[in-house]
Amino acid sequence: MGSFIGLLLCNDEGEVLEKALFPKNYEIQASKLYLLSKGESIDEVKELCEKARKLGIDELVVEDPKVAQVFVSAGFQNVKIETPNKVAKAIRSQLLKLVVKIGYATSEDEAVEILHKVAFNLSAKRIVEAVEKRDLLVAQAVSCIDEIEKILNILASRLREWYGVHFPELGNVIKDHEDFVRALILIGHRDNIKKKEVLEELGPLRDKISKILETGPSLGANVLQKDVDVIRDVASIVLKLYEVNERLRRYVDEVMGEVAPNLKELIGPVLGARLIALAGGLERLAKLPASTIQLLGAEKALFRALRTGSKPPKHGVIFQYPEIHRSPKWQRGKIARALAGKIAIAARVDFFTGEYIADELKEDLKNRIKEIKETYKSPPKKVVEKKVKKKVKKEGGSK
Amino acid sequence: MHEDISGVYVVEMDDGSIRLATRNLAPGIKVYGETLLQHGGVELRLWDAYRSKLAAAFMKGLKTSPLRDGIKVLYLGVASGTTCSHVSDIVGNDGRVYGVEFSPRVMREFLERVAKYRRNVIPILADARLPTEYAHLVEEVDVIYQDVAQPYQSKILVDNADFYLKKGGWAFLAIKARSIDVTKEPSEVYKREVETLKDGGFEIVHVVHLEPYDVDHAMILARRT
Ligand SMILES: C[S@@+](CC[C@H](N)C(=O)[O-])C[C@H]1O[C@@H](n2cnc3c(N)ncnc32)[C@H](O)[C@@H]1O
Repeated sequence: MGSFIGLLLCNDEGEVLEKALFPKNYEIQASKLYLLSKGESIDEVKELCEKARKLGIDELVVEDPKVAQVFVSAGFQNVKIETPNKVAKAIRSQLLKLVVKIGYATSEDEAVEILHKVAFNLSAKRIVEAVEKRDLLVAQAVSCIDEIEKILNILASRLREWYGVHFPELGNVIKDHEDFVRALILIGHRDNIKKKEVLEELGPLRDKISKILETGPSLGANVLQKDVDVIRDVASIVLKLYEVNERLRRYVDEVMGEVAPNLKELIGPVLGARLIALAGGLERLAKLPASTIQLLGAEKALFRALRTGSKPPKHGVIFQYPEIHRSPKWQRGKIARALAGKIAIAARVDFFTGEYIADELKEDLKNRIKEIKETYKSPPKKVVEKKVKKKVKKEGGSK
Repeated sequence: MHEDISGVYVVEMDDGSIRLATRNLAPGIKVYGETLLQHGGVELRLWDAYRSKLAAAFMKGLKTSPLRDGIKVLYLGVASGTTCSHVSDIVGNDGRVYGVEFSPRVMREFLERVAKYRRNVIPILADARLPTEYAHLVEEVDVIYQDVAQPYQSKILVDNADFYLKKGGWAFLAIKARSIDVTKEPSEVYKREVETLKDGGFEIVHVVHLEPYDVDHAMILARRT
């Protein structure tokens, strides 16, 4: 088991068989525990693996899945996870005494001192990691996602057109850009679709390709290998970009969980990150009034409206929230306002207190949306016919 | 002045009102702007029942307390340490408080205001819903104190008890009705949470409502059998 003094190997009776102890230095102890908790390997893991093997032990039991992963990566295949584990519990019941017994500290007092310092250091490390402008990193990452997606659209369209000169049928059967690019790379010259190994590699796309084969010879131009090769070069870069984009999305998801868990839970990691980006950071977002949040990302339309006297926009980037763009036009402004209110609360709690209140916010929002949908079931015109004048005015004025 | 609950002083103020206090383990240092008093060579810190649910529970008549000198406590949701600092006072230098908090910003304040000055406080930046994550720092404890303002609080408590609470150990659970379930009335919320506690091997010893100190909370004291 892992502890603040290092790794301990115990038998079922709770006796310590072997140990791989950390150097007695708070900084080092804390950074080793830090790495381990991130699922990264440290020297002590290898050391303990070797010692375990020498003892002829072929199965380890640990409590933490991440630590298990580290042991497996270090080459110890048979690692079981048990949470909580009985032996580990027994050790915990006399942990500080054990630290003295092993000789790591000379007294229990010293053991406590070490524990206190290690824990303090470790927490400080995590704070630095979490608080240091991580919101700005996630803002950059999400902006990068948006840019990559624009580029991907341009390049994928280009590839379709370009490759279409030679083999237009492929673009016709595969509508998804990423699938198309992948197929293009695998196929190359169109004659290759007759080859068995190429078909095999195409996997789930195979059926679509077989259809092309059935319809007879291609209507595209016959080209040289070097013509196809340049197209494939570009295509491989495009595919790589798709992968990078996917990784960025996962990154945004993870960091949003650390930086703004309530915002993430309320409207999703990517949209949440976009709002942080538009506001210029979580702190600024947390200080914006809901009415401004509602229009973040619609600045252009807003200024146009101010200039020309046209209708002002009802929502900015939060339009991407499914409940807004899926709803009929006349409900959108109201839902946007309700959502912006909740976003403002989520951002404030994320920035100022860090409590977790997303479930309440979601519940409140759900109820409010339901209410809006019931109250404003039909387009405003019908409302005009049914309701008294006063209400109609209010309804018109709120747009 | 006298001691009623172990480690907790009851102070009669000049205006006749009653306040609680604990003996300051870090003399001269205030945690949240509380008043320091000298009493027979001992420095006491007044304990504000409007700012601490545990103090409110004692004010509202909670008579039994498992907290005493030398006790080990796992405290889930320490925030910036208002209540935790008094628990640290009570358990003294032979006791320990493992303070778990998952908000980095709040934890930073906790380190600076409380953990820095008190060796018996072990700060842990982690999510209380994942007890495995701090198994390398925490020993077996006598008491779990939990105040996390989270849904499924009792489940969090039971999971942590499975890891760290010794047989016959105690638990304080501050229940914030609204944070558990917005759609239901508090009484139903209590019932459901209490059910989870019982299923988790706890026996409810006391339930104290904290108004007027805290209007929508109650404190549950439970014991694991
Ligand atoms: C109501 S406050 C606690 C106040 C504190 N007990 C006192 O009296 O001084 C709740 C705290 O629990 C923290 N918290 C909420 N969920 C948590 C979780 N899953 N793990 C750790 N801490 C959590 C919040 O960040 C917040 O600081």
